[in-house]
Amino acid sequence: MLISRAWLQSLLMPGRVAFPDEAGLSSLITGLGLEVEGVTQFGAGLEAVVVGVVRGKRVHPSADKLGLVEIDDGTRTVEVVCGAGNVPDVGGRIAFAPEGAELPGGFKIGARTIRGVESRGMICSEVELGIGVDGDGIMVLPEAWAPGDRLIDRVPGIVDTVYEVSVTPNRPDALGHIGVARDVATKLGCTLVVDPLADPEPVPNPKLVTLSAPERCGRYFGYAFEGAAVGPAPLWMRVRLHRLGLRSINSVVDITNYVLMEWGQPLHAFDRARLAEGRVVVRLATDGETMTALDGAELTLTDDDLVIADAERPQALAGVMGGADSGVAEGTTTLLLEGAWFAPRDVRRTARRHQISSDSSFRFERGADHGVGLARAVARAVQLIGDHTGARLVGGHYVRGEVPEQPTVVLRPARVDRVLGMAIPTDEARRILAGLEIEVDASDPDAWSCVIPTHRPDLGIEEDLIEELMRHHGLDALPSAPAMATGYGTQAPTALRDPAGALSRAEVDALVDAFVATGCHEFVGLAFACPETLAAVDGHSVPVGVTNPMRKQHGVLRTHLLPGMLDALALNTARHGRPVRLFEIGRTYAWDSPPTGTGPTESIDRRLPTERLRAGVLLSSGVIVAGGEDAGFSAQTVSAVLCDALARVGVQAHVRPTSDGDTVACLHPGVQAELWVGGAEPRRIGHVGRVHPDLSLRWDLPEGVDAFYGELELGALPPGTPTLMVGLPRFPATSRDLSLDTAQNLPAWTVVDALRHAASTLKPSAEDAPKLAPGDRTNADVEVLEDYRGKGIDPGRRALLLRLHYRAAERSVKDAEVQSVHDALVDAALSALRSTDPSVQRR
Amino acid sequence: MRGVSDDAIQQLQGIDAELATKVDGAVDPEQLYALFVEYLGKKGKLTKKRALMGKLDGPGKKAFGRAFNAIKTAMEARIDARKQALVAEARAAELARFEDLTMPAPRGHLGSIHPLTATRRKLERVFLSMGYEVLDGPHVEAEQYNFDDLNFGKDHPARDMQDTFFIDPQEGTDARDLVLRTHTSPVQVRAMLTREPPIRIIAPGTVFRRDDDATHSPMFHQIEGLCIDEGVSMADLKATMERFVGAFFGAKLAIRLRPSYFPFVEPGAEFDVVCPFCARNPGETCNVCRGSGWIELGGSGMVHPNVLRAGGIDPERYTGWAFGFGIDRMAMLLHGVTHLRLMFEGDVRFLEQFPC
Repeated sequence: MLISRAWLQSLLMPGRVAFPDEAGLSSLITGLGLEVEGVTQFGAGLEAVVVGVVRGKRVHPSADKLGLVEIDDGTRTVEVVCGAGNVPDVGGRIAFAPEGAELPGGFKIGARTIRGVESRGMICSEVELGIGVDGDGIMVLPEAWAPGDRLIDRVPGIVDTVYEVSVTPNRPDALGHIGVARDVATKLGCTLVVDPLADPEPVPNPKLVTLSAPERCGRYFGYAFEGAAVGPAPLWMRVRLHRLGLRSINSVVDITNYVLMEWGQPLHAFDRARLAEGRVVVRLATDGETMTALDGAELTLTDDDLVIADAERPQALAGVMGGADSGVAEGTTTLLLEGAWFAPRDVRRTARRHQISSDSSFRFERGADHGVGLARAVARAVQLIGDHTGARLVGGHYVRGEVPEQPTVVLRPARVDRVLGMAIPTDEARRILAGLEIEVDASDPDAWSCVIPTHRPDLGIEEDLIEELMRHHGLDALPSAPAMATGYGTQAPTALRDPAGALSRAEVDALVDAFVATGCHEFVGLAFACPETLAAVDGHSVPVGVTNPMRKQHGVLRTHLLPGMLDALALNTARHGRPVRLFEIGRTYAWDSPPTGTGPTESIDRRLPTERLRAGVLLSSGVIVAGGEDAGFSAQTVSAVLCDALARVGVQAHVRPTSDGDTVACLHPGVQAELWVGGAEPRRIGHVGRVHPDLSLRWDLPEGVDAFYGELELGALPPGTPTLMVGLPRFPATSRDLSLDTAQNLPAWTVVDALRHAASTLKPSAEDAPKLAPGDRTNADVEVLEDYRGKGIDPGRRALLLRLHYRAAERSVKDAEVQSVHDALVDAALSALRSTDPSVQRR
Repeated sequence: MRGVSDDAIQQLQGIDAELATKVDGAVDPEQLYALFVEYLGKKGKLTKKRALMGKLDGPGKKAFGRAFNAIKTAMEARIDARKQALVAEARAAELARFEDLTMPAPRGHLGSIHPLTATRRKLERVFLSMGYEVLDGPHVEAEQYNFDDLNFGKDHPARDMQDTFFIDPQEGTDARDLVLRTHTSPVQVRAMLTREPPIRIIAPGTVFRRDDDATHSPMFHQIEGLCIDEGVSMADLKATMERFVGAFFGAKLAIRLRPSYFPFVEPGAEFDVVCPFCARNPGETCNVCRGSGWIELGGSGMVHPNVLRAGGIDPERYTGWAFGFGIDRMAMLLHGVTHLRLMFEGDVRFLEQFPC
């Protein structure tokens, strides 16, 4: 909302309180909760512009289209060259900028010679004075103005400061100057003055208005005029409208706009001659009915749209926009002026349905005044139309539908202190409420009964009135006082478990640190994803669609972290050649098993998609640009990063081969594995591998560049537990090397697992027999030393070299007994492995 | 026999002189050890001469014995002194060495933590230390919690303050009331529904609005604070904000409240803090507050009675305040990040700048 300082000032009774300067008024308005977001100064330089009288005019001797005009500027007569066609005859008044003036926009007037004639000054147009957009010709001023009068004295408001005020949606009253002036007056402690107006008393003509939807239209004034001469609005009005960014159309439209800016009350004027039967019907449209709006848009209406129709068809979309067929234009002589109140929610629905936001719908949606303000605004428009178009009021009708009840709110002065933590003296509170035109009955001093005026539909409860007191009393005096008797920090901090995961926030934070410690950079990706791209990565999950995405590529929420991370890799690859190592901890979204929330939020929670907390790691390998570094990462680096990070949060993970049928589509089918946690309930917590070559292609990764990806579902992680110490061995271990001839696709983990399984199931020969146990120089009981596939090994086979460590807890072991335990264990493991690889054997 | 004794002693002195020459030429401890063995070992040149004693008579024997011991001690001392000298020389040589430690060191790769995470944690730490619980809620939220229960009337223009992403209904349903939460405030409702006063929570988290330009991202982050108890007032809010900014910025900075409107609070206020960044560029107009001296942090106010009621709390008995502000903007201010877009595109040249 643009607010003119000059206009505000004209609405306040000059008195003992000085009207604030530009900056002071700005901070005063902001302090009232109407934040000033911009300030524009108008009229700089216009002090020099005066009224000039034409004393003579003739054609320029060497240019037919130019004229030479003799101007009397009150002190002397000069001759100027002027190209405008509308210079008045001798005796006419014009706006004259003498030599030395500097017009808005920085245009300096000097003596200039035009085609051999010296021109000493300029006859100005509205554009040149910065008060209009109408470019045809110079300004012609009223005959009554004396030569030498300064324009700024004749046209108040021509020098002005305009504030761009951000009006919050609860303050429809501040969408007009009177509402803002009421606030300013209350704050300053002065009086709001509004020109006294007699209520128009037209000849009653009930035929003018028929209301058939009283639940949608609470009030409707229809006033008929005849004999209007529609021309330009008076200069002072056009200047004010111009300052507020409104283009002058004609006197009638300008008057409705002027009243809109003054009272915040939208009005509409119909050309009554164009209304069938010269009357209006306020009714719901029928489905499919059409009309053309003022802006030319063809509207197809529904039976939820309220229209102002004539006897035959819709002529305006009520409270939103007038119709093109009945608008007032030059030549209009009869008028029907509408002042009304329409129900906010319905106006909003209609405006949204037809995607129109007008000054009118903006105000009705927020709640216009259906009481005194509406009546005053209509009276004001009637007066202005009479004054400036010469029209006669020939009839009128006023109908009432349903309007919201005006509440009476009880305000307990003690509650003010309780909510604000500061007391506001009783007489100041009374003064503030009076200034806001809230009627107070304080016969019970502990519970004032306050009648809310119709221009403040936002005030409905006690707290609303407390806010009014707070706004006007100001917050500068608010003490800083912690009221909680127990003080801070007495309640032990508890981080609630994230609903999207099993880890506490502290554990997730620890995981972030653990990833950072492995040298990865934390990435935060957008939650949005492109449906097609996402489907290429994750064909399983049912993504959550966004109804109104900002762009097609953001059409769904991500079910997977990989697409976003590949986007980042592609961006890095395109911008520079550094190796990429990223991790992200973020949510993914999918429609699947509904969250099984319990408690008070259950009914909502069951309808929501599942949100999972995931961790992803993406490493690049290969030389991205010539001469660039190859970090040499592999899928195993990803496993190491994930396992190391998990170890730092108390979770011991290991890598297992992908189970049959569980191949992950986004990874290379032969270069992928699963991450598991052991313990009492072993379970899969994630995947690692090389990004599928099809995806590398889709993301345009350069030849020779590979991406490796690993992810964890954090919801699947067991809670981290304190690490338990293992006692240090007192006796030395003995080791046996084992070389196996295996198929190449028999995973090392399967072999190790079989050996461990055999160790745990073989019955020991004696209580203190040697057992498989971590060695002296390693934490592993079974070490995988080498995978050899070279000379001497059959194609498709490999030599897997392992080292097994044995130890007895309470004594040193002898070679022979270790050998017998080892042989039994290996035999058992091999027979188990033969179900997978029938030809596995010792070498 | 005096002559015999003198002769024997002269032999000893000859051996000593011979050693002296060799010791002076020795350049390492191993040579000195070899000399020790050669002259003073069990079969050493000097040791062997002890046998001469047997051929001497009483006084001669005594004189020889004294001379032998004296020469042996002297020879040992000679070797030892040379050893000390060699050690000293070696130490001096070692100490004279210069290594250029300014050559780039081989280092492990330093990971980095995203400025948003770092800022969020810093905020959490402050409020945890003041006894607040940290909560979060779902990103896809029902309109009831995102709007209705927060006193945003249906068809009310206040909903325009937050341009909303709507969620397509799940296949087989026609529920069109799900949205991407436009603020962290739904967590207020969830907290009230699942707790009894006194309630003191903060809720940092991801939020979404249909906004995408130089200073807006359709996804961003907010932190919400909520405090409900008997006797909680605006003055308490102000005190808490002052403590928060004090702990967060490490300096006592003034807070300013300005009346404003948010549907879920009444009265409502924006809160500003004295700009902590003016000192960054002394002598110049601060590019953060643009010389105004204040930074707008966010919105706040007393929890609207309708919101308390929606959360099952009696507004006559309890009052509460709430505040909220953007974490992204805070992170940008703290780290001097110029474009919001940088936060979400994952350029490692940006990310690696933030090791802490």
